[in-house]
Amino acid sequence: MGKVTKFGDDGEEVTMKETPTSHQPEAHDDVSMADAGEEGEEGEEEFEEETSKVRLLPGSTPTAASFEFLEENHTLGNALRYVIMKNPDVEFCAYAIPHPSEAKMNVRIQTYEGTTAVEALRKGLRDIQDLCDVVSEKFLEARQEFTEKKAAASA
Amino acid sequence: MDYDPMAMDDAESLGPVVKISQADNTRVKFELSNTELNFANSLRRVMLAEIPTIAIDLVEIEANSSVLADEFIAHRLGLIPLNAEGIEQLLYSRDCDCDEYCEHCSVTLQLHAKCTGDDIMQVCARDLVPVGDRVNQVLGSPVINDPDGHGPLILKLRHGQEIKLSCIAKKGIAKEHSKWAPSAAIGFEYDPHNKLHHLDLWYEQDPKKEWPPSEYADWEEPPQEGEPFDYDAVPNRFYFNVETAGPIPPDAIVTEGIKVIQQKLAGLIHELTESDGGDGGYNGPRSPGYNEGGDNWNDQGSFTPYGNGGNQSSWGGQGGATPYGTTPYGGGGGSWS
Repeated sequence: MGKVTKFGDDGEEVTMKETPTSHQPEAHDDVSMADAGEEGEEGEEEFEEETSKVRLLPGSTPTAASFEFLEENHTLGNALRYVIMKNPDVEFCAYAIPHPSEAKMNVRIQTYEGTTAVEALRKGLRDIQDLCDVVSEKFLEARQEFTEKKAAASA
Repeated sequence: MDYDPMAMDDAESLGPVVKISQADNTRVKFELSNTELNFANSLRRVMLAEIPTIAIDLVEIEANSSVLADEFIAHRLGLIPLNAEGIEQLLYSRDCDCDEYCEHCSVTLQLHAKCTGDDIMQVCARDLVPVGDRVNQVLGSPVINDPDGHGPLILKLRHGQEIKLSCIAKKGIAKEHSKWAPSAAIGFEYDPHNKLHHLDLWYEQDPKKEWPPSEYADWEEPPQEGEPFDYDAVPNRFYFNVETAGPIPPDAIVTEGIKVIQQKLAGLIHELTESDGGDGGYNGPRSPGYNEGGDNWNDQGSFTPYGNGGNQSSWGGQGGATPYGTTPYGGGGGSWS
């Protein structure tokens, strides 16, 4: 980061470094791909945005992991939690929105031996996808049926 | 356990069921059954807040001698429903290559009105004229549903007053600003007899007399006299009432809503599959450098962004072949099937 200078009230030059540490952004030490990318390449904004939607929180083991989703909320969180809990290989699953004014959602997954938390998450997402497919299909069927019935009634 | 005898009558009581009870140009009422509250609520939330539509986002005012302030008019313009047919071909301005806005990510509408007569002039949404190239001939046109064909009233002008402005309509979702909401309201209801005690009804003497029955009360069995509380029961039938604000037809709100959930999930699965190896993850000893995104993606096999959820799916590729309630997950469905 370049050295940023600003002027105090008396016109004296103050460097950013001298401001209280609480005002300086802390360096992140977690092992996130997204963070590494952000500091490395400034140019590829779109790419970064796409890759940083979900990350593994530090302190995770293969069978017990916490994930942080950006820009997600109860819409996905609750459905995902429920569907992951239905997986018999999963010991525990919960989600939380740590702070209402941060667009973040955390999911904790603990599985039994034989599968991984990442796998359980992936399976959960796919299961909701499949559920969506069925509901979509059923809705279109019902719509078709309804319009046919209506046409028959008016004829 | 017979939680819901009505649902058991259905031949297809094993998978999600949709029944439409009313549908016209402004609303669709339907019942979604044999799903969980979680999914029904996701659908409701997504239809409310995450379906992309188009609304006026920037207003450049050239002349305004009306009694209303510029920003007041700009706000009113933002709330005017615009036709969102073909919105999927429009880019979000933030994803577009242009500097500010262009025909690929916006629709421009112009308004110019001057009152020359003695009567008070009404300036309505029909006076907004789309100009320039558009994705199709209807995207971004004001929605006009009233019998006179005027559309919503924007402002009134007295003799000699003039308004001249151009509006830039952009794609967006209601999570950012409710002007992008496709629906005016979404009714969502379950358990009309409050058998599950999810509601705690306020009353003076007797809640049964003071609270009118739901319109869906006849659809479900009323509780028997002296019936013990079933603590295993879960909500199973959900009554939606989707009313459009005009941008897209009501049935399209439902299908688009499901599509948005699908896209959300597809994006996450894709990313999870990609980042997995990169994080030094759990799928074997691959070094991050070795893993190009594409390779890794293929390794996971048979991932399709839409539907047919991959070979691990318990559902079967055709969808609905194996009903949701009887996934190998077992247990969970027990209380109602």
